[in-house]
Amino acid sequence: MDVLLQAIVNGILLGGFYALMGMGQNIIFGVMKIVNFCHGEMLMVGMYLTYMLYTYAGIDPYLALPLVALIMFLLGAGIQHTLITPSLKTKSFTNLLFLTVGLGLLLSNGALVLFGSDYKSIRTSYSQTNIMLGPVSVALPKLISFLVLIVVTIALFSFLKYSTTGKQIRAVSQNPVGAEVCGINVKRIYLLTYGLGIALAGIAGCLLTQFYSIYPTAGASFGFRALIVVVVGGLGSIPGAFFAGILLGLLEQMSALFISPSYSDMIVFITFIVILVVRQLLIMRRR
Amino acid sequence: MSEKPVIEVVGLTKRFKGLTAVNDVSFSVRKGGITGMIGPNGAGKSTTFNMICGYYPPTEKRAYEYTNMKIARTFQIMKPLKNLTVMDNVIASCYFGHAAAKTREEAVERATEVLKFTGLYEKRHVLSKEMGTPDQKRLEMARALATKPEVLFLDENMAGLNPTETAEAIELIRRINQSGVTILLIEHIMQAVVSLCEKVIVLHHGEKIAEGTPEEVMNDPYVMEVYLGTKAEDKEEKEEA
Amino acid sequence: MDIKKAVSGYHRNLAIVIGALLAVFVLLPVVIKTPYIINIFILVFYISTMSMAWNILGGMTGQNSLGLAAYMGIGAYTVCLVVTKLGWNPWAVSILAMLVTGLIAGVIFFPCFILQGPYFTLVSIAFAESMRQFIINSEFFGRASGVGLPFGEDSLAQFRFTSKVPYYYAGLIMMVVVYIIMKKIDNTKIGFALKTIREDEDAAAAIGINPTKYKVIAVVISAVIAGFVGFFYASYIRYVDPDLMVQAKSTEFVLPAVVGGAAYVEGPLVGGLIMIPLSEFLRANFARVLPGINMIMYAIVLLVVIRFRPSGILGWYMDSDFKKFIDEKILKKPSLDILEEYQMMNYESRKGGK
Repeated sequence: MDVLLQAIVNGILLGGFYALMGMGQNIIFGVMKIVNFCHGEMLMVGMYLTYMLYTYAGIDPYLALPLVALIMFLLGAGIQHTLITPSLKTKSFTNLLFLTVGLGLLLSNGALVLFGSDYKSIRTSYSQTNIMLGPVSVALPKLISFLVLIVVTIALFSFLKYSTTGKQIRAVSQNPVGAEVCGINVKRIYLLTYGLGIALAGIAGCLLTQFYSIYPTAGASFGFRALIVVVVGGLGSIPGAFFAGILLGLLEQMSALFISPSYSDMIVFITFIVILVVRQLLIMRRR
Repeated sequence: MSEKPVIEVVGLTKRFKGLTAVNDVSFSVRKGGITGMIGPNGAGKSTTFNMICGYYPPTEKRAYEYTNMKIARTFQIMKPLKNLTVMDNVIASCYFGHAAAKTREEAVERATEVLKFTGLYEKRHVLSKEMGTPDQKRLEMARALATKPEVLFLDENMAGLNPTETAEAIELIRRINQSGVTILLIEHIMQAVVSLCEKVIVLHHGEKIAEGTPEEVMNDPYVMEVYLGTKAEDKEEKEEA
Repeated sequence: MDIKKAVSGYHRNLAIVIGALLAVFVLLPVVIKTPYIINIFILVFYISTMSMAWNILGGMTGQNSLGLAAYMGIGAYTVCLVVTKLGWNPWAVSILAMLVTGLIAGVIFFPCFILQGPYFTLVSIAFAESMRQFIINSEFFGRASGVGLPFGEDSLAQFRFTSKVPYYYAGLIMMVVVYIIMKKIDNTKIGFALKTIREDEDAAAAIGINPTKYKVIAVVISAVIAGFVGFFYASYIRYVDPDLMVQAKSTEFVLPAVVGGAAYVEGPLVGGLIMIPLSEFLRANFARVLPGINMIMYAIVLLVVIRFRPSGILGWYMDSDFKKFIDEKILKKPSLDILEEYQMMNYESRKGGK
């Protein structure tokens, strides 16, 4: 029983990261209809940023969080401005796809050149602290990251729902041409969206450094899971991404517990395929 | 007129969730003629079209008959194969459709014929995305014609054309009809409807409100009210576009 | 006959150029004997072939798959397993490998054909990754350590050589044959169906093309080619492990096509010939100091091409004055009208002859 409870808690905490990644991917995909295939690499960049700030400037990872988010936002906005916005004009899905794939290659191999392929980690005074929640022990950093996730989710949700910029973002995701006609600066919204999405990946990376090794391909599995979260949680839905992320984390932990840890990846992928196909069948039937 | 109509639909209905787009519409299309379908925006014309073409199924129908019909259609929103040349656009149609070409030469020969017929032959090496609207509309027709249809459905083929281009399009449609193709067309431009159609069906709010020769329909008081009343608006819209 | 003369002159010039190019490739191992260089060309041959296999799906049909490496892996595994466990002849197994990959693509993957755009890409990744995970977890497939092929003395029947040169020629033949097949497809009914689907599925359905049917055809052709390349790879490396099936490999196979120009049959060849030697050169010279430098170069070229020449190197060449110069001065290419007229003349005379 305790094992099960522990797995559930772990699943939820792990799912938090998928949710965070999924939210970033979700607004990018929702607004620009492009799949950001370098999302996992962005998480990795966030991890290395936190690592550098901690090692060279002695900034605590949690204090670095806003700084990492800001730098990642600027990085995202810069990429959007120089690469993605000009390529959106060609309306070629293939090109946009490989643009983000190319960025991912650049980032992960750039990290390889700069930092080498060895695993790095951050050990703070509290990273080994465990807290007992009833029979379940939880690492303090995991708990904190989950709290951060909840704050980010609520903030993002209210931002999109109530702020003027948030409303503009939603308008552009519905219909860019219509939004442009209404006087919304679509390019600016694209800049904001991509920056925001990347900042979210950066936050996830920053939080992850406390209990996950830092290496050039650390983000890959998170990147693909973010896509699963987008599809399952529904386009443009922040609460959807939140719950889909947690669900995915649970699914992984449960299949590891009940079937076999080595099959959990495969189960995630097959479940994803089934969801994609069933979802499309439902859409087709509704027509 | 003793000949069996080429299309006969009775009680055609389509609902999208709560909205009834087409309600109990019945009409027939005479073989070898040009039949027009008019009505204000949102009257259900394109929906009716799409159902008969099999693009999506009707929600309800009482009877539904085509006598050995080989249909081809154009889309209201043009769908040229943007990154292919005009020639390749038409060759693609020649390979498929109702008399699929067996060899490349056969396809090329027929595509050449169709391009000459529609007046696009000079532009055959141009990428279709690089052409203007009038030529793209022509290309839509050429692609449909290349499938060797017996019935051709034209969905707002003249929208956005200037008077000269409209006159050319009317002339082309007439020539297509004279070559033995039955035509059913949706059109907002009354000049085209009056000069081409032998029979006009008027839809409004998804229902058929009148049917007859263009003159009969134009003089129908109800049609004048619902259709011509909104005509001024339509015109403005068109100019915007 | 002026037309005939002009066209046959052009055809002769074209044949000379292509023949010269082929001759360079055929004579290359005679001149350069360094195994290292030969190996680079073998890489060029099989990666370009994979890229062509991707191109029929991605470039021609507009379905961006990112899971092609898995099919190559399945092909390689089929060869290694059947040859070691059942002792069949590798050439016979190559046919089996193509059948297996074709069946997996056409039957197991079948429900995924309803997915479009980004969703197709996602499902192709997930499908490939689940196959890889299955192999990693299966004792039969040798888990993560993979399966090897028996070594032994040189034998054509076993497709086993100590020298790289026979693989060089086999790879060259494979690439040329696949290119000819692709060129054929591009010009016939299937090619037009695929290109119509790429531009607009509704427009395709309206002229009587069944999009699902042709998408299945494209996916199966691409998987079958990948299966055969898997056979070639397994015979050359004499070993296969699940790392061959990772998504990064699939991406690597797509890059030559995108860089070269995905809309053209020749795109993957041009991209492969330029990118792979460059990448290998960087890897050999700088990898010890700067690991990953070759992939960085790859990524930068990719980004630059997409940003500034969205239709690839070939797309750029097609609009350039350089092509005009080559066409007019070297090949003496007659105008399109004359070429067309010539084709129709041939057609008429054949029709008359019947």
